[in-house]
Amino acid sequence: MSTVSVRGLVRHYQQGDVTVKALDGVDLDIGKGEFTTLMGPSGSGKTTLLNQIGGLDQPDAGTISIGGVEISKLSSGQLADVRLRKLGFVFQSYNLVPVLSAYENAEFVLLLQGMPAKERRERVMQTLKDVGLEGMEHRRPGELSGGQQQRVAVARAIAGRPALVLADEPTANLDSHTSESLIELMKQLNQEHGITFLFSTHDPMVMDAAHRVIHMRDGTIEEDERK
Amino acid sequence: MQLVNLAIRNLFRNARRTLITMSAIGCGLSLVLMMVGLQAGQYADMLRIGISTLAGHVVVQADGWQEEREPEQLLSGADAIRSELAAAFPDATVTPRLYLGGLLTSPYNSSGVMLRGGVPSAEAAVDTLDDKIVQGEWLADDDDRGILVGAKLADVLQVGVGDKVVYMGQGPDQDEMVSRMFRVRGVFKTGGVELDGMSVMVTLAAAREVIEKPDSAHQVALHIADPEESDAAYDKALALVGRDGRDVLEWPDALPELVHFIEIDRVSGDVMMAVMGLIVAMGVLNTVLMSVLERTKEFGVLMAIGMRPRRLAGLVLLEAAFLGVLGSLAGLVLGGALVAYLVSYGIDYSAYMGESLEMEGLVLSTHMFGAWDPDRMGTYVVATVVVTFLAGLYPAYHLSRLEPVEALRAP
Repeated sequence: MSTVSVRGLVRHYQQGDVTVKALDGVDLDIGKGEFTTLMGPSGSGKTTLLNQIGGLDQPDAGTISIGGVEISKLSSGQLADVRLRKLGFVFQSYNLVPVLSAYENAEFVLLLQGMPAKERRERVMQTLKDVGLEGMEHRRPGELSGGQQQRVAVARAIAGRPALVLADEPTANLDSHTSESLIELMKQLNQEHGITFLFSTHDPMVMDAAHRVIHMRDGTIEEDERK
Repeated sequence: MQLVNLAIRNLFRNARRTLITMSAIGCGLSLVLMMVGLQAGQYADMLRIGISTLAGHVVVQADGWQEEREPEQLLSGADAIRSELAAAFPDATVTPRLYLGGLLTSPYNSSGVMLRGGVPSAEAAVDTLDDKIVQGEWLADDDDRGILVGAKLADVLQVGVGDKVVYMGQGPDQDEMVSRMFRVRGVFKTGGVELDGMSVMVTLAAAREVIEKPDSAHQVALHIADPEESDAAYDKALALVGRDGRDVLEWPDALPELVHFIEIDRVSGDVMMAVMGLIVAMGVLNTVLMSVLERTKEFGVLMAIGMRPRRLAGLVLLEAAFLGVLGSLAGLVLGGALVAYLVSYGIDYSAYMGESLEMEGLVLSTHMFGAWDPDRMGTYVVATVVVTFLAGLYPAYHLSRLEPVEALRAP
């Protein structure tokens, strides 16, 4: 069974008198443990597809299943539960909660999941160690570099053991050295823990690291390239 | 717990804005508490003076006198009532009183007066009129020829201590005029137009002689030492001297106009304070809404990682509630200090308003003191927290309807 299964996905936006076909009949399957990137020019539909798979937006037509759960017809509360239990997100601009420490940012998802305190603490400490932030648990985002903040974002995304991590241009705000190190980290997490990653990116380094590159244009999949 | 923690940290994310809003809540509440304290002090003063000069904690009167105030509505057996009450309440002061309207005449002028006949020593014990004597002295209990007159009346009649005046009023059968000569023993000055211009006082025996009713009074007033015991005193007095043809009243029923005035004044104060509360609420609404709008993207991220919109709304309500609690605590401390100052030192308005102020027929000092009113003050503190919490409802509602994808697009 695929981790993600998308069938006939359509999402149109109205901009004045013009209808923008952000997604125009997308079919896609992503298997467990894949390290996949979506690439394409701006406006090709990458971010819209990530938002749809992430349950952040409702489709006009089509279906999306995450780990066997059909999400396109769920209520906003049920979608929140799917995001909490099955998905992790990494954003371009880190988007950490500035008043919480690295530890607390990573812990937040586990608190929402209702994990007991002892297990939660062990999980957070291990996750921060996995992303290379051991010893920086108590630093707030403002006290961390861009690369370190993105590592905290990755820790937050994987701490809840999601079926899929969605990353929207995660290296766009990082220098090449930091980007390389972050990609290496995610690849390692993919290989060692079997976490499925789906990226949208323009970064050639991410594309080089990916097992599969999906080329998008005008809201459709133009090419699905497996390495 | 995490929500509480996050709410507190969010509040101090923009510490200056939070402190300004807290100060607005705190200052607003402290002013309200100060006004409530001043009002409470003024009401206590009015009731104390009203009870001592116009009634007592419990009064016994002839049936109907309270409403009609006709001179012939006399309480018979007044001395027996006085004795029974005095025996039952050994620490209290019992004062029988007669009130007679009439004309006071001097060789130079005449003026309409309200004559009060009472027991001078008992009146001195419950009233402060004896402290207001500016010429001569207070009446002796057996001085049935002496009279005390107000300073303004003395001016009108052009009399002073030792001068003769003649009182003329209705006789015992209401169909003939009687007169009696008195000699001025003292002149009092309270600052009240009515009291200084129209009031005179003689002994109860002298007043009784005028109407030729030796054992009569319009009112027998019981003044107890502890006003808090007024309810119990009323029950006891009613059981002891309550009979057909007599009204036994507790002070709120004996002074209905005063009680009504205080109620209306209190409600007017509440309306003013509600307006102030509304202004504070708008300030809080502005703060909370601003803080929500500028964190829209962050809320989008929290929704993306699985936080339900309802919990986010709860977070904002918690922030508003904390703001209310902290602001109210600040207001309570500051307001409490202001009220404590007013209770101890008061505010002296005499430079602007003169020595006294007449209100509802009572002469109040213009050096006004505050008093504690824990029930009303507590209500305002709780109301401030509630109003602040309510001010968070709209931002919370706004948040509960936010779509994650829209929120993530926010700058």
